[in-house]
Order: sequence, then structure tokens, then C-alpha cells
Amino acid sequence: MSGDQTVICRCEEITLKEIKETVERFQCSSREVKLRTRAGMGPCGGRTCRCMIDRLVEQLGGPKISNDVSLSYRPPVRPVSFGILGGEPK
Amino acid sequence: MIDLVIVGAGPAGLGAAISAAEYGLEVCVLDEFVKPGGRLLGQLHEEPDGKWVNGIAEAQKLYYRALQLGVKIKCGVSVYDIAKLESGWCVYTTDQIYETECLLLATGASETPIPVPGWTLPGVMSIGAAQVMGNVHRVKPGEKGIIIGVNVLSVAIARELQLCGVHIESILLPQSSFVSGDSAHPEKMMESLLRLTHLAPSPLIRFGGKWVNPKIGARLYPRNGFKMWGIPIQLRKTALEILGEYQVEGVRIADISATGEVVPGTEKVLSADFVCIAGGLTPMSELASVAGCSFRYIPELGGHIPIHNECMQTNLKGLYVAGNITGVESAKVARAQGTVAGLSVARELHAIKQRADEIIDIAKKEVIDTRRNALIQFQAGIEREREELYDKGNNVFEEKISV
Ligand SMILES: Cc1cc2nc3c(=O)[nH]c(=O)nc-3n(C[C@H](O)[C@H](O)[C@H](O)COP(=O)(O)OP(=O)(O)OC[C@H]3O[C@@H](n4cnc5c(N)ncnc54)[C@H](O)[C@@H]3O)c2cc1C
Repeated sequence: MSGDQTVICRCEEITLKEIKETVERFQCSSREVKLRTRAGMGPCGGRTCRCMIDRLVEQLGGPKISNDVSLSYRPPVRPVSFGILGGEPK
Repeated sequence: MIDLVIVGAGPAGLGAAISAAEYGLEVCVLDEFVKPGGRLLGQLHEEPDGKWVNGIAEAQKLYYRALQLGVKIKCGVSVYDIAKLESGWCVYTTDQIYETECLLLATGASETPIPVPGWTLPGVMSIGAAQVMGNVHRVKPGEKGIIIGVNVLSVAIARELQLCGVHIESILLPQSSFVSGDSAHPEKMMESLLRLTHLAPSPLIRFGGKWVNPKIGARLYPRNGFKMWGIPIQLRKTALEILGEYQVEGVRIADISATGEVVPGTEKVLSADFVCIAGGLTPMSELASVAGCSFRYIPELGGHIPIHNECMQTNLKGLYVAGNITGVESAKVARAQGTVAGLSVARELHAIKQRADEIIDIAKKEVIDTRRNALIQFQAGIEREREELYDKGNNVFEEKISV
């Protein structure tokens, strides 16, 4: 298996190749990579690949990792049922 | 309304619960794992004086002390959102919604595995997962394992797996590429291993920590590696690919030069029935981010850190942080930070009647002393970065509060 076919985001099955191509084509930030490819948007909320995506984008010539959290977090930060979100009594 | 809700029942969360409850606060600790103790549960080390530190026993002690003081501890409950109220915080969980005066995030760190070709095969796991299987659930992750990633954590956990009766065939480096960064570099990894000095039974590392420059260390490093507890640690070999049809069957490896290039013609396959990937650790700060905390990026502390001062207050009123969420360090440091956070909350809620500042100063000093004496230093430069953070952190803190 070539390194380029290695899966980076396991939830959404996004490969290193797809991320590389996106950064090269759009010269974009990790946030834009996420929005374009869905890398980091799966059920784990990016817990496995977030740091890797930031690092890859930086090394591929995208913006440097800064104090701002580029791949933002959104609630719910854990997978929860609609019932729980809607305040259904247990 | 509760006085203090704590997210995370690791050493930081339990430490804070104890110190706050000692001043009479009503405290509730929430943790999504089935047992209290956090990452302590997986730990088993031999200290330089020959005593064993068993994390499960340490966790029990903290847990019982907290219960004795009337702390409520709920396990199997995930916090999925938090929101600021007019006064206090609202905590959304899979169990119920809590309203609390003060909120402490002690959510620890998560692993940052390195994607290696073949890493999605069944039988590949993060090094921390193997630690939890072996030491917490008492299940062997396999019979014969290979660990990809040579660092303080992987060597310590290799030893724990060995004590569980698992054979570790080899600990070696990931292949050099953009995804692996420094973790594929023999010199950099030698530097990291040298921070393991006190824990290491190997004279090379024990003396090396004091005397050897990592550059020279990596060059002098024997091609076949050296052994710790009989486990081969191979800074001059790299894992190219994890192999297997339906599950892990082995790893294709090759020799590398001191700077990390593969030596042609040296490829071979090692067999194994499981593989652990040891990348690094990063503070788990999702809830701090959702709350709207400001962050600083500090690689030495593991990544993005919610800005906080030495009293463990963030720049949002009533919101505190402690433990690995503030930077990856050892369990004892996390516990000491928890104590500071608990006391700071008690001070904010006027529960400490006398000499509050003095009491907190003593606890702060304890954090610094514990850090200096820590057996495991996850990264170089922690102390320096902490000092800088607290200098700057205090400024930011004042700016924000005064606005
Ligand atoms: C894989 C791994 C191995 C480690 N090995 C060692 C070692 O051998 N020696 C050592 O000194 N240190 C080790 N550490 C560092 C370790 O994290 C600290 O020693 C210490 O346990 C940190 O304490 P803490 O209280 O900050 O966090 P933790 O002990 O990690 O506890 C955090 C707790 O918060 C809970 N939590 C997180 N988010 C939520 C949420 N949203 N809702 C509900 N609960 C939540 C978690 O379930 C967890 O129990 C290791 C860390 C990791 C990740």
C-alpha cells in the first residue's frame, strides 16, 4: 500500500492523497480542508485526526498552526441521541 | 445550584473535589468512563527506590477520600456541552442538566496516533488502548505485539504489557514522512528517551540522560538496538507498513540511517498479532473551546492550551481547568494542580475563612516541586513554558476581566 492511500480521517475515510490534493489545489487552511473533504467531521468529532490535519496542512505549506483553534469544536462534543438533546426524561 | 461541578474523575478532578469538599463545598464529579480514576487506572511503575506505584490503588484512595467528604461521583456520564449562565454554568450531560456556581474541566489528554499504512486493520490500536485493555480490563490485547513509536509513554507501557504476560517483539520508529514528523527521527527520539532516565533499567539511558548528547546517542546507537527489560528498542529501524489480510499478521520494517532515511535492501517482515501506535498526547480541551476560552498553542505542553493562571482560573468567570487539559504531564502533577483548583474555587465562593491566599500559595508551590521531581517528563521545556504561560496568562487574564 502506498503512503498516499493511508487513511487520515477514519470516520469519513479521507486519505492522505485527498488532503494533499486539496491543500495543493486551494492553498487552504485546515478549516477549509475540513469543509471541503469532511476530514475531521465524523462521529468522533475529529478527536483522532484533528492534530494530524493541522500538522499536515502546515507541512504542506498552508498556514502555520497558531493560537487560534482552526478546527473549531461544536457541541455536542460527544455523539448523543436526539432524545437526550431534546431533554427527554430518562 | 451546586457549588462545583467537575468534569473528569482523574487525579486532577478527584484532587480538586477533595480540596474543595474539605472546605465544605458541595461538589459533583462526572466521568464518562465506568470507573473513577481516569488515566491513573492504567499506570504501574517501579520508582527509583524500588517501590511499585499501582495506579488502581492510588485511584481508590482518592475516590474513597472524596466519598468520605460527601462528594457525589457519577460514572458513565458524558458531558456534551456547557454554557455560561447569568451567574454560574450550565452543564449538559447524557444523564441530566446541572447548574453550578463554578465549573472545573479536568478532562485529561487524548492520544494523537500517527497514521501508518495499514493502521485501519483490526488488531491495530493506540498504545493507550493497549494499556487500558491490559491494566484496567485485564484482557491481553494479543500474544505478540509490535509498538510503532519510541517515546516515554510507549516504553513505559511496553513494560506494563510485558507484566501482563504479553510478548513485545520490538519497539521501533514510524517511517519518515509528513505525517510522522519528529517521531520518525532517531536523534529526536533519542532526546525523548533520555527524559526517561529515572525509570530506565538500562544503563545506556540512565547514564545517557546525564551525559550523552542525543545526536551522538543516535549515531552510537547499535543497529540492532538495545534492550530494556528484554524488549528490543530500535531507533535505527522503521515500520513501513502494517500487513494482514483480515487482521494484523505482521509489520514490514527496514533499517534507517541516523537521520531517518531507509537503507535500501534491508526490508523484512516481523510477525505479530497486534500492533500499537504511539504518537503523542494532546490536551482534551473541547469543552473549554465550546465555552469560549482563549487558547495558546504550546507544542511543549502538547498543543492548544486554554489560557489559565497559576490558580487554574481560565479567562471566563467561574470556569477552571486542571490536569492534562492544561498541558501533558505526569499524574502527580495533575493531582497537585487539582488541589490548587479546588482551593481556588473555595476561595472564590468565600469558603476559606482565613489565610486563603497563603493556603493557595503553598498548593501552587507543591505543583512546581512535583513537576521538578516528576519521574516521567513527557516533553522537554515544560517548566520554562509553564513560567512563560503564567506570565503572559496573567496579563491576558487581567485584560479580559477588566473589559
Ligand atoms: C494513554 C495515556 C497514558 C498515560 N500514561 C501515563 C503514565 O504511565 N504515567 C503518568 O504519570 N502519566 C501518564 N499519562 C498522563 C496522564 O494523563 C496523567 O498522568 C493523569 O492521569 C492526568 O490526569 P487528569 O486528571 O488530568 O486526566 P485523566 O486521568 O485523563 O482523567 C480525565 C477524565 O475525564 C473524563 N472525561 C473527559 N472528557 C469527558 C466528558 N466530556 N464527559 C465526561 N467525562 C470526561 C475521562 O473519562 C477521564 O476519566 C498518560 C496519559 C495517557 C492519555
